Amino acid sequence: MGVPLIPKTAPFGDEEIELLNRVVGPANERQRAWLAGFLAGIESTSGVAQQAVAPLTAEPLTIVFATESGNSERLAGDLAKVARKNGLKPNVIDLADLDIQTLAQAQRLVVIAATWGEGDPPSRVTEKYNELMQGDFGRLESVQYSVLALGDSAYAEFCAVGKAVDARLEALGARRVVERIDCDLDFEEPAADWIERTVKALAPAESSTGTVIAVDFAKAGSAKTEIVEAEITELVNLNSSRSDKETVHLALSFDGAMPPYEPGDSLELYVENDPAEIDAVLAAADLAQDNALRDELRTRDIHTLSLKSLETYATLTGHRDIKALIDCGEAKAWIADRQLIDLLSCFPISIKADQLRAITRPLAPRAYSIASSRRDVGNEAHLLISAVRYRAHGRDRKGVASSYVADRRKRGDKVRVKLRANKHFRLPAADKDVIMVGPGTGVAPFRSFVQERRATGATGRNWLFFGERTFTHDFLYQLEWQDAVRDGALARMDVAFSRDQPEKVYVQHRIWERRRDVIEWLEGGASFYVCGDAKEMAGSVRKAVETAYADVKSVTPEQAAEFVRQLERDKRYLTDTY
Amino acid sequence: MISRDGGFFDHVATPTVFSMSKELSRNEHIKEASNFLRGTIAEGLRESLTGSIVEDDAQLVKFHGMYLQDDRDLRAERGRKKLEKAFSFMLRVRITGGVLTSRQWLALDRIARIYANGSMRLTTRQTVQLHGVIKSNLRATLKDIDAQLLNTIAACGDVNRNVMCNPNPHQSRAHAAAQALAQAVSDHLTPRTGAYREIWLDGEKIAGAPEPAAEVEPIYGRTYLPRKFKVVVAVPPSNDVDIYAHDLGFIAILDQVGDVLGWNVTVGGGMGMTHGEPDTYPRTADMLGFCTTDQAIAVAEAVVTTQRDWGDRTNRKHARLKYTIEDRGLDNFRAEVERRAGIVFQQEKPFTFTSMGDRYGWVESGDGLAHLTLFVQNGRVQDAGAGHDQMSALRQIAELDVGDFRITPNQNLIIANVPLAHRQAVDRLAKASGLLAPPSGLRRNSMACVALPTCGLALAESERYLPTLMDALEESLARYGLSADDIVIRMTGCPNGCARLYLAEVGLVGKGPGRYNLYLGAAFDGSRLSKLYSEDLNHEGLVDALDPLFAAYAQDRQPGERFGDFTIRAGFVARTSNGRDFHANVRG
Repeated sequence: MGVPLIPKTAPFGDEEIELLNRVVGPANERQRAWLAGFLAGIESTSGVAQQAVAPLTAEPLTIVFATESGNSERLAGDLAKVARKNGLKPNVIDLADLDIQTLAQAQRLVVIAATWGEGDPPSRVTEKYNELMQGDFGRLESVQYSVLALGDSAYAEFCAVGKAVDARLEALGARRVVERIDCDLDFEEPAADWIERTVKALAPAESSTGTVIAVDFAKAGSAKTEIVEAEITELVNLNSSRSDKETVHLALSFDGAMPPYEPGDSLELYVENDPAEIDAVLAAADLAQDNALRDELRTRDIHTLSLKSLETYATLTGHRDIKALIDCGEAKAWIADRQLIDLLSCFPISIKADQLRAITRPLAPRAYSIASSRRDVGNEAHLLISAVRYRAHGRDRKGVASSYVADRRKRGDKVRVKLRANKHFRLPAADKDVIMVGPGTGVAPFRSFVQERRATGATGRNWLFFGERTFTHDFLYQLEWQDAVRDGALARMDVAFSRDQPEKVYVQHRIWERRRDVIEWLEGGASFYVCGDAKEMAGSVRKAVETAYADVKSVTPEQAAEFVRQLERDKRYLTDTY
Repeated sequence: MISRDGGFFDHVATPTVFSMSKELSRNEHIKEASNFLRGTIAEGLRESLTGSIVEDDAQLVKFHGMYLQDDRDLRAERGRKKLEKAFSFMLRVRITGGVLTSRQWLALDRIARIYANGSMRLTTRQTVQLHGVIKSNLRATLKDIDAQLLNTIAACGDVNRNVMCNPNPHQSRAHAAAQALAQAVSDHLTPRTGAYREIWLDGEKIAGAPEPAAEVEPIYGRTYLPRKFKVVVAVPPSNDVDIYAHDLGFIAILDQVGDVLGWNVTVGGGMGMTHGEPDTYPRTADMLGFCTTDQAIAVAEAVVTTQRDWGDRTNRKHARLKYTIEDRGLDNFRAEVERRAGIVFQQEKPFTFTSMGDRYGWVESGDGLAHLTLFVQNGRVQDAGAGHDQMSALRQIAELDVGDFRITPNQNLIIANVPLAHRQAVDRLAKASGLLAPPSGLRRNSMACVALPTCGLALAESERYLPTLMDALEESLARYGLSADDIVIRMTGCPNGCARLYLAEVGLVGKGPGRYNLYLGAAFDGSRLSKLYSEDLNHEGLVDALDPLFAAYAQDRQPGERFGDFTIRAGFVARTSNGRDFHANVRG
């Protein structure tokens, strides 16, 4: 195959570009000259030559994304691709990096914003989000815009961030050209549709007269973006048999296409429901004989309850008790720690298969930070999966993915995975130091980091903070960390085991104890990484770094907070939390 | 006092050894280089990624009262789970004569629940062992113990260990004198090094000039003793402390009104041996003679320093005082002790021992106080459920604060000095949790060492298996009408003999997983060693071997004849007169 000549930016689909390259690439000088003449001849007779030079008249399009898991960013990329082929010059910007003051100059603006947890923006963008919502940066009368909100309808504040941004832009005088859509976990289809409509609405007039050149994202056909099959070569619970935790180390090997992952990336694991739980749901819904539905439910979310699904159930079934529950405002409290099976058994009513479908969503894949480096483990990828098991409202509950892996998969079985890149959680240059804070399964990407840095001979120092419940029974990868300290791959490691002593000790306490060295490393250019629990840990660690800085440098809390904010702006304070 | 002329301390650094041609044992170099038991322990505590410490320090921490162990039940899974062995430490508290206040008991109970494995282990040497303390908690644990005026100094290691004493308070004057002597000996022979305090309690010391051994350890010197050293004090007629099993023993000699006249002194007892090495053997102690109370401390020190200088430092399996006396002769040894102590032993005074066991139940001492001896199976204090939440029950008894707690040499417990008014309250709690002695004469006289899963030396189960074996043996005994007969049974997981099984009428030594050697023929009063009867028996083998012996005993015994004596008279085993012929005359 010859050298590709047609650039990716050409106004053709990916497959067309490939086809054209197949012809133009190996063509000799004479063939090319003939083609040029031929095409020129056609254009001169049809009189549409102007359209072929769309890039010359391309209109700028500002695409702002706010991402936590990477979905918003990926959609922003998809949108840019379509836009580029339709006479627009897209500029994709992370909200975290956006200069809000320039917003008024944007003629065409698209915002793709994820909502995280209880209606919060992704942690990296908090500062800019607040500025966008409250700051003074002039009116946006000349701005045309469209918003796509991403969220999870299992949470009450569904798509709150996207909704707020939409309202704010409108309030500032911007003109909405396409209605906002609020996407749930199954966002792919509605998002593709929205992208098409948005590009059509924002493309330059001459371009919009034609049809939008579709870009089929789903069929790119590489392990980079596709679901691929992997074989389980190791599946071991790293916690001792005396532990009340269960954390599975899962080694996957790829025979064929290998996701070209980098340290910091995640793999999405496509899981299926426990057949016993499917049977229980079907029995409770009085649909036990529907085998087609049984098969379908393997990959639908048969656990999550939301206010929305409760309302849908009430409407579809006309169940008065649920209606009463919603009307008296107690529905939200009721769904806490409850699942679909509770709804079906507490408010039994004979329902149809379609009604059950209406209150379930497709089962989304679960994303896990990759715990290995390809440079160390070859054609493998390792995941670290914490099994969730608890009891609530008289029933034993278990996490779908963790029980799928821990209970129903074994060595030799196949699983389906897909790469989810995380460009915002990358190692710095080889000579830079890194400080990694990864308690629990948060340690996964740092195992990847350490493997990578060892394999590539990176000269920067690596310092890991790890925490778990007990030293003896929960020290994930203990022997490997001992080796890493011995061979220098880890310059330092500090550990905190919360339940080994009467007073709880967490990683943030160790950071505080080591504050002098932590600040010295940071001032020497080290990057600071945090991975793991978003609810408590990430905030406590940030606070600890701020307090450490204030103490070591004798500055005010405000100055210390600014120090961390600056680290963030410099991409040296990076988080991957969940 | 000992003489300090003639380059005495140089002598300690390069001791006279029995066999000059041989190299000093490894432990001697470790001690020599340790700067009085410091080694690199403090550095090891800072290594937070491992629960272990380096090998040399593992030897040194014994002198501080702890053993590095790992949970052997978990060994198989650890590597697969990318975890190192489940390391933890066993801490042994120094409790002279086994006497604790209620308050101290409560503190140890709390420490066991917070830092150890939630149980307390009463030992055959009247102490409490806490198992499962991880490295990061050692300092906190030892500080808590220190706050109760207790410590773990020299509870293990090549030094004088916990001094035992008959704990029975009902002979109050004799006991008080015995306990006082035990305390004085313990205090006198405690290592003086500041290492314990520095490492565990106060933090590290700034390094200074090396101190002269004579100032740091006037008795032990730089390399301490060649091997462990054990002292006991007995009050006849009870031989509960097993006077013949220890390096140094004091037997209280009482006058007509029950006051102590002085002490018969015994030396050279010891239990340990190694399978397949006939040069190693258990040995019962010899009599040195009688001394007065005011001579006793000097005698103790002289015995220790003579062993310090004469003991074999080239071979740890030949280093106990029992071998020194075998090699040098009792008369030579006595003469050296007399020279060093500046005394002459008097002829030993007559005394009578009747048993090694505990006297269970309540006894009143006539002074308005009562004492309750409880049965703690194999010394394990825990909440076992099913009406046996004994740890909680003992905590409730301690909370009553109406008496003291005395650990017996048989791994049992006495709630002592309870005013009669509180007797019922104590009794109720004890009874409800199964702490009163069982009717079975075998079980009442049983002991087992800890063994698996924590002890690194164990070849077989002991504490966790003996109750099961006794269930089967009790059936057998019941068949022959022997249920109520006192028969002493002891089990250890290895031949080192922590449960003093070579002095038991039925002695069981672990040989390998599920396999035991059976010893018979020891005396009921602890004065005669046993003899190997059968090897490598599994559970069925043990029951099958003992059942016909019980049958024969029931049928052929003479009035008052003890089981151990019977097995010799009936010809099942030959009589063992002392250590040298322990391995002789074993039937083919």
